[in-house]
Amino acid sequence: MLSPERLALPDYEYLAQRHVLTYMEDAVCQLLENREDISQYGIARFFTEYFNSVCQGTHILFREFSFVQATPHNRVSFLRAFWRCFRTVGNGDLLTMKEYHCLLQLLCPDFPLELTQKAARIVLMDDAMDCLMSFSDFLFAFQIQFYYSEFLDSVAAIYEDLLSGKNPNTVIVPTSSSGQHRQRPALGEAGMLEGVEASLFYQCLENLCDRHKYSCPPPALVKEALSNVQRLTFYGFLMALSKHHGINQALGALPDKGDLMHDPAMDEELERLVVRSKLHRTSRQHRAKEPGAFGFQRREKQEALERVSSASVPMPYHYRWEPRE
Amino acid sequence: MIPGKYRSVSGRAANNVNCGLHLVIQTSSLPEKNKVEFKLNKDTSSFPGRLLQHDLERNYSSRQGDHINLVSSSLSSFPILQRSSEEKILYSDRLSLERQKLTVCPIINGEDHLRLLNFQHNFITRIQNISNLQKLISLDLYDNQIEEISGLSTLRCLRVLLLGKNRIKKISNLENLKSLDVLDLHGNQITKIENINHLCELRVLNLARNFLSHVDNLNGLDSLTELNLRHNQITFVRDVDNLPCLQHLFLSFNNISSFDSVSCLADSSSLSDITFDGNPIAQESWYKHTVLQNMMQLRQLDMKRITEEERRMASVLAKKEEEKKRESHKQSLLKEKKRLTINNVARQWDLQQQRVANIATNEDRKDSDSPQDPCQIDGSTLSAFPEETGPLDSGLNNALQGLSVIDTYLVEVDGDTLSLYGSGALESLDRNWSVQTAGMITTVSFTFIEFDEIVQVLPKLKIKFPNSLHLKFKETNLVMLQQFNALAQLRRIDQLTIDPQGNPVVNFTLWKYYVLFRLSHFSMQKINGTEVTQNDMIMAERLFGILAHVASSELPQYRLISILGDARKKQFQYLLESKGKKPGIINEENNDSKRLVGENTNRATLNYTTRDFYNEKLEEIKEKKKFCKTYIEDLVKEATEINMKNEALQKLWPQMFIELVRDAVIEIRNKNSYMKLCLQQITDQK
Repeated sequence: MLSPERLALPDYEYLAQRHVLTYMEDAVCQLLENREDISQYGIARFFTEYFNSVCQGTHILFREFSFVQATPHNRVSFLRAFWRCFRTVGNGDLLTMKEYHCLLQLLCPDFPLELTQKAARIVLMDDAMDCLMSFSDFLFAFQIQFYYSEFLDSVAAIYEDLLSGKNPNTVIVPTSSSGQHRQRPALGEAGMLEGVEASLFYQCLENLCDRHKYSCPPPALVKEALSNVQRLTFYGFLMALSKHHGINQALGALPDKGDLMHDPAMDEELERLVVRSKLHRTSRQHRAKEPGAFGFQRREKQEALERVSSASVPMPYHYRWEPRE
Repeated sequence: MIPGKYRSVSGRAANNVNCGLHLVIQTSSLPEKNKVEFKLNKDTSSFPGRLLQHDLERNYSSRQGDHINLVSSSLSSFPILQRSSEEKILYSDRLSLERQKLTVCPIINGEDHLRLLNFQHNFITRIQNISNLQKLISLDLYDNQIEEISGLSTLRCLRVLLLGKNRIKKISNLENLKSLDVLDLHGNQITKIENINHLCELRVLNLARNFLSHVDNLNGLDSLTELNLRHNQITFVRDVDNLPCLQHLFLSFNNISSFDSVSCLADSSSLSDITFDGNPIAQESWYKHTVLQNMMQLRQLDMKRITEEERRMASVLAKKEEEKKRESHKQSLLKEKKRLTINNVARQWDLQQQRVANIATNEDRKDSDSPQDPCQIDGSTLSAFPEETGPLDSGLNNALQGLSVIDTYLVEVDGDTLSLYGSGALESLDRNWSVQTAGMITTVSFTFIEFDEIVQVLPKLKIKFPNSLHLKFKETNLVMLQQFNALAQLRRIDQLTIDPQGNPVVNFTLWKYYVLFRLSHFSMQKINGTEVTQNDMIMAERLFGILAHVASSELPQYRLISILGDARKKQFQYLLESKGKKPGIINEENNDSKRLVGENTNRATLNYTTRDFYNEKLEEIKEKKKFCKTYIEDLVKEATEINMKNEALQKLWPQMFIELVRDAVIEIRNKNSYMKLCLQQITDQK
C-alpha cells in the first residue's frame, strides 16, 4: 500500500486520481438522504456497507446517471452489472437499439438515449438504426462508448479534422470538444479515399492519450488494433477497438467474448428462482385463501432477508472484479 | 244504379226528423226492380233547407218513359220534350229520363216548376237546356259522359246534385248553388278539391274514385257531415279540422302511410267515424293504438265500433311508444355527446403530444410546458345504461347545436367497465361512488391519459374499486419497461391490455415477459387477450430472474430499506390523507404492509418513479450534494493538514528524539549539580 509512487503524489492529486472524494461525498449524501433509516443501525455500519458495495461494484444499481458516469470504476461496475443482469436476455433474440436502451433504463432510470445511439452506431457502422443487434456486439461496443466516451469525442474531432484534410500544423489550445494536434508535416490527404491513414491517425491519438486526464485505452493496444489496416473510418476504428480482446481485458469489466454467456454462479441462482416460481405458481393456484398464502409469503420474505444480510459479507464471485487502471 | 250507401242523418236538429225533405238512397243489387221512392213533404215552399229526403222510384221512371214523347224539332238540334197533361198533373214536380239513350239534354218546355230531374244512364256530354227549371231541387246525371260542370248557374234552389260516374276533370261553376246539400262527384277524374268553399250548406260530399292526391281547401264547408274520399291516391289530409260538423270520413284505399300526414284529424272534435283500411298505414303495427290515442273522440274505426278495452289498450301502448322514443332519443343524444367528448379529448391529447415533441426537438425556444386548458365545465354525466344502437334522430342535430361547451374529459360506467378519457377524468375517482357500483367494476380502461398521471392515482383505484381485475391502457404514453413496475402496488390484476396505439412500449419484443416477471405475484391470466402459459412465466423468470436477484441480494441493506421505505411511504400516503392519523388505524396499515411485502420481495425494489418525481428528487439532492462537497472538502483539508503535520513530524521526529535524549543526558552528566537543580525545582514549586 505504501508504495513509493503513491507517496510521491501530493495529497489532492492522489485523492483525485483514485476518486476517493467522489465516493466520500456520495456516501455522505446518501447518509443525509436516508437519515432516519440509517440512524437506526449505526453510521459506521453504513459506511462499511457503502464501501463494500463500491468494492463489489453494486453501488451503481438504480442510481442516477450522473453518479454512474462519475468515475471509471463506476462505469466498469455498471457495465458488469448490465452484463450479469441481462446476459440471459442476450441469449435469446436480437434486439433493437431502443430495446437495449430500455434494458439500460431498468438499471439506470435516466440513462441518456444518445449514448445508446452512439453505441448502436458503432455496431451498425452508422447504418440503419433500427437494425437488430446481438447482445455481444452491442455490449462490447457499448463498453467502448460508455467507458471512453470523452476520449471518443476527442477522437471524433480529430477524425473530422483529418478527414477534411485540415493541416494539423498549429497547436490548438485544448478545449473540451476539440482534440490536440502536434505539429506534423502535411501529408496532403485527399478526401476521395475513405477514411484516414492509419499511422497518422495513430500518432494524433498517441498525443491525445498523453495529454489528457481521462482514461484512454492503452496506446500499445491501440497500435495493435491499427496495425493491420492502411486506412480506416471512424466507426471502423471504434469497431476494431470494441472487438479487441486486449482492450476488453484491460478494462476488466466483461469476460472474453467466448465466455460472455457463461456465468455458472448466476445460472445456479436462476435455476433456483425458476423452480421456485413454478412451485409458487402451482401452489398459488391451489392454495386456500388468506392464512396459508400468508405463511407461504412470509417464508419467501425471510429468505430474501437472509440473502440480503449475506450481502454485507463479500461473497466469492466467479469473476471477482478488481480495480485496474 | 245508385252506388254507395247514402245515409244522411240530421246534423243540427236531431229531434226534428219529419220536417222538410229527407234524402235517403238505398243500395240494391242490379238490376231488379228497385224501389226507389221519392217522398216529398207537402209544404215544400218553406224548405227548412237542412233535411232532404229523396227516394227515387224505379218503376215510376220506367212507367213515365212510356208517356214521354221526344219530338225532334226542326228548328234546333235538341229534341224537345213533351208530356201528356195527365202526366204533368200527376207527377208535376218530377221528371225521369233514365236510359233514354240521350246524347244531349233535351229542351224541356212548360215544366218550369219541376223539382226533380233524372238523367241517369244516358250519354249526355254537356249539361244544357235546363236553365229555365229554376225550381229544381235535385238533378241526377249519374252515369253519363259529362266532361265539365256547367249550365247550372240558374238553379239556385238545387239541393242535390248527382254527377257520379262521368268524366269531369275539374270542380267548377258551382258558384250559385249555395243551397247545395249533397254533392256527388264520385267516379270522375277530379285531381283537386276547389271552388266549393261557398257551399256552406253542403252536408254530404262524395269524391270517391277520383284522382285526388291530397286533401285540403275544405274551409267554408260549415255543414259537412260526411266526406267520402275512398279509392283515391291521397297521401296527406289537411283542413279537416276546419269542418265543424264532420262526423264521417272515409279514407279507405288511399296512400296514407303515417299518422302525421293526417294529423289534422286529431284536432277535429266532431269526427266519430273514420276508415283507413286499404292504406299502408293500416298495415303498421302501431296503427290502431296510434289512431285511437290521437283521436279520442272516435266511435268507429274501419266500420267497427271501438270498445273501451281497445281504447285503454291503445293509450297504454301509445304511452309505451312515447317512452321508448323519448328514451332512445335521450340515449342517442348522450351517445353523440360522448362521441364528441372523446373526439375532443383525442384532439387535446394529440396537441399535447405534439407540443412535447416540439419541446424535445426545439430546445432553444421557450415554450411553456403545461398545455393550455380551455374553459372546462364539469358537465360529464355518469350514466349507467346498457348500450343501444339506434339511428340518430333528425332532431338530434338540432339539439346538439345547443351544446355550446364540449367537455375535455369523459367518465363512463358501463356495467362492469369504468372508462376514463382524458386526464381530467382521473379526478372523478375522488367522487363518492356507491358501494354497489364500485363493487361491480371489474375493468378499468384508461385512454388519452399520461401513464405517469395514472400512476399517481393507482392507490385510490385500489381502494375505491377493489374488484378491478382488468386494466386497459390506450394512448397512455407507455414508453419504458420500468413503468410497469408501478402496477405492482395494486392488489390484484388478472388481465392486462396494452393497446399498441399510443403505447410505444408494445413494440419491444420482451415487454410481455417483463410484465409477467415483475407482476408475477399477481399470477396474471391474460395479457392483451392471449392466455398466459406456464412456459411464458418460466421464460419471463429466465430472462429477468437475475435482475431480481441482483436487485434484492446485492443491494446494500441501507439501500434496500430506503427503496422499500420510499415505496411503502407513497402507498400509505393516500391512506393517511383520507383516514386521518388515528392511532387505531395504524394496526390496519401495518397488517396491510405485511401483506404488501408478501409479494416477491426480490422484485419489490424494482420501482418506478414518474419522470417528474425523479427530476424533482434529483433537484432536491443537488443542495445536499453541494453541502456534502464542501463538508468533505473541509474534512479533507483537515485530514491533509493532519497528514502533513504527521509527515512533518515523522521527518523531524528522529532529530527531535535525538535532541531530547542529548539534552537529558547532558543534564544528568553532573550528578551533584543535577541533584541540586532538582531540589531547587521542588522548593520553587512550593
